[in-house]
Amino acid sequence: MITFQNVTKTYKGSTVALRDCSVEIDKGEFVFLVGPSGSGKTTFIRLLLREEVPDKGRIWEAGKEIGHLSKWRIPYLRRNIGCVFQDFRLLPNKTVFENVAFALEVIGRPKHVISSQVPQVLDLVGLTKKAGNLPGELSGGEQQRVAVARAFVNRPLILLADEPTGNLDPTTSLGIMRLLDRINRTGTTVVVATHDAGMVDQMRRRVIELDRGTMVRDQARGVYGLDSAVAAAGAGSPTGTLVETAPAAVDVDLDFDGDDDPDRFREDG
Amino acid sequence: MPVSASYVVREASANLWRNRLMTVAAVLTVAVSLTLVGSALLAKQGATNATVKWQQGVNVIVWVNPDASTTLNHSVGTELGQNPLVKSCIFRSQAYDYNEARRVDSADEFDATVQSDYPSSYRCVLVNPSDANALVQEYTGKPGIYGAPSSPTAQIRTMENVIHVLQWVFLAIAVILLLSASVLILNTIRMAIFARRREVSVMKLVGATNWFIRLPFMNQQSLFAQMSMGGWEVAGTCILVGLVGMLVGVIGSAFAVRRFLDV
Repeated sequence: MITFQNVTKTYKGSTVALRDCSVEIDKGEFVFLVGPSGSGKTTFIRLLLREEVPDKGRIWEAGKEIGHLSKWRIPYLRRNIGCVFQDFRLLPNKTVFENVAFALEVIGRPKHVISSQVPQVLDLVGLTKKAGNLPGELSGGEQQRVAVARAFVNRPLILLADEPTGNLDPTTSLGIMRLLDRINRTGTTVVVATHDAGMVDQMRRRVIELDRGTMVRDQARGVYGLDSAVAAAGAGSPTGTLVETAPAAVDVDLDFDGDDDPDRFREDG
Repeated sequence: MPVSASYVVREASANLWRNRLMTVAAVLTVAVSLTLVGSALLAKQGATNATVKWQQGVNVIVWVNPDASTTLNHSVGTELGQNPLVKSCIFRSQAYDYNEARRVDSADEFDATVQSDYPSSYRCVLVNPSDANALVQEYTGKPGIYGAPSSPTAQIRTMENVIHVLQWVFLAIAVILLLSASVLILNTIRMAIFARRREVSVMKLVGATNWFIRLPFMNQQSLFAQMSMGGWEVAGTCILVGLVGMLVGVIGSAFAVRRFLDV
C-alpha cells in the first residue's frame, strides 16, 4: 500500500528531514511512527500527502508512484487518503454534520450519497446526537472524532494521523485510538505519528522509529522506545514514561528546526 | 469534474455577503474605474466626431481692408460667390469681428484697439476643404484684401495632432485605470481567500480540485464586475466596458487564488 524507497528529503537551508528511508507498509496495517520532535515524522506524513516531494528516492502509494505525479492529479490522490491532525482543522462556522459533509461535497459527491454516508460515519464515531452542534461547542476529544469522521467518510484506502492525541488527555486519547483501530479493522491502512508512548505501548502494533531523519527501528509488535520497553517490563505507568521522554524531545527540537515548524501548515495565524 | 452551478453561486454569494463592506467598496471603486474607462472611450469617440465636424465646416476667412470702399468690399463678395472653389460665403461686418476679438483677444490687446481698426470679413465654406490653400494664394495681395486670408486648415492639422495625442493619453489613462481596478480586485479577492484560508486548506486536504476551489472566487469577481457595470448597461453604453470589467475581475481573481493553491 505504501512503499518508501531510499527517500531523502532536505528542507531549504536546514538539516535533513528524512535520510535514505526505505519502508514498506502493507494494506490493512496499523503503523505507529514514533520519534522525538524534528525526527521527520511530519515530513513522512507530508510526503504521503504529496505536500512535499522527495529530493531522492521514490514513493509508491496504492500502486502509484507519487513523486512525479502531475499537479492536477494530486487532488485525486488525496481522495484516497484521509488525514487527521493534532489541531483538528475543523471549520468553525460549520456544524459537525456540515464539516463531515464538506469532505464529500468538495469532491463532487451527489446529495443522496452525502445524506446517507455522513450519518453512518457520525454513528461510527458516536456523535450522532451532536450532528447539529458547532465545533466550538464540543470537547477536544469530540472535535477530534469529528475530524476522524471527516477523514474516513470518503472510505479512503489510507488514513494518516499526525499527533492525533497531542492535545487530548489520556482517557480521551484512548477513545480516539480505539476509533482508529476500528477504522483499521475495516481494511483501511492507518499510519499514526505520535509522541504518546503510553498509547503505543498499549496498542502493541508495528512501530517505526525515526531519529533525526533516519529510521532506527521497525518492530512488528513494538513499544514506544527503550525507556518504554524498560517501563513496560517493570511496573512503570505510561504517564511516567511520558515524563521521561519529554525532555529528550525538547533537546532535539533545539537542534532541528525542521519539519515540526507549525508555520509550514499555512494554518491558523 | 463535477462542480454544481448551485454550489458555485451559493459560495460566491455567501462570500460577497460575508465581506459586504469590502464588497461595496470594491464595487464602487470598480464602478468608478469602469466609468472613467467608459468616459475615456466616449471622449475619444467625441474627439473623433468633433474633428470630422470641424473639417466639414472649414472656413477660409478673407479679410477685407478696413480702408476699402463699400463698392470694392461688395465686389470682393460677389467675386468670392462666383469662385468655383467656394460653396458659400457669409459676410461679417467690422462690428462682428470687433466683438469676436473681444471674446478671443486678451483684455490689454483688445483695449488698445477700436472698431474701425478691424477688417470686415467673408467666411467661406469650400466645396472641397483641401482647396483652402489655393484660395488663400489666389486672394493674397488682391486689391482691397487685408493681408493674407486665414485658413484654419493649418490650425486644424495642429488640432488633429493634439487630438491624436489626446486619444493615446485617454487610452493610457484607461489602461492605468483598468490596471488599478485589477489590483483592487486582486486585493479584495486575496482578502476573501485569506479569510477562508482554513477552508481552502481543508478543501485541498480532502482532495478538492483547484478549479473547484477557484470557481466561486472567480464567480464572485465576475459578479463584482457585473454589479459595477450595472449603471453602464442601464445607460445602454459600452457592453465592451462590461466585458472588460468581467475579464479584469476573472483574471484578477485567478491570479489571487493561484498562490493559495500551491501544494
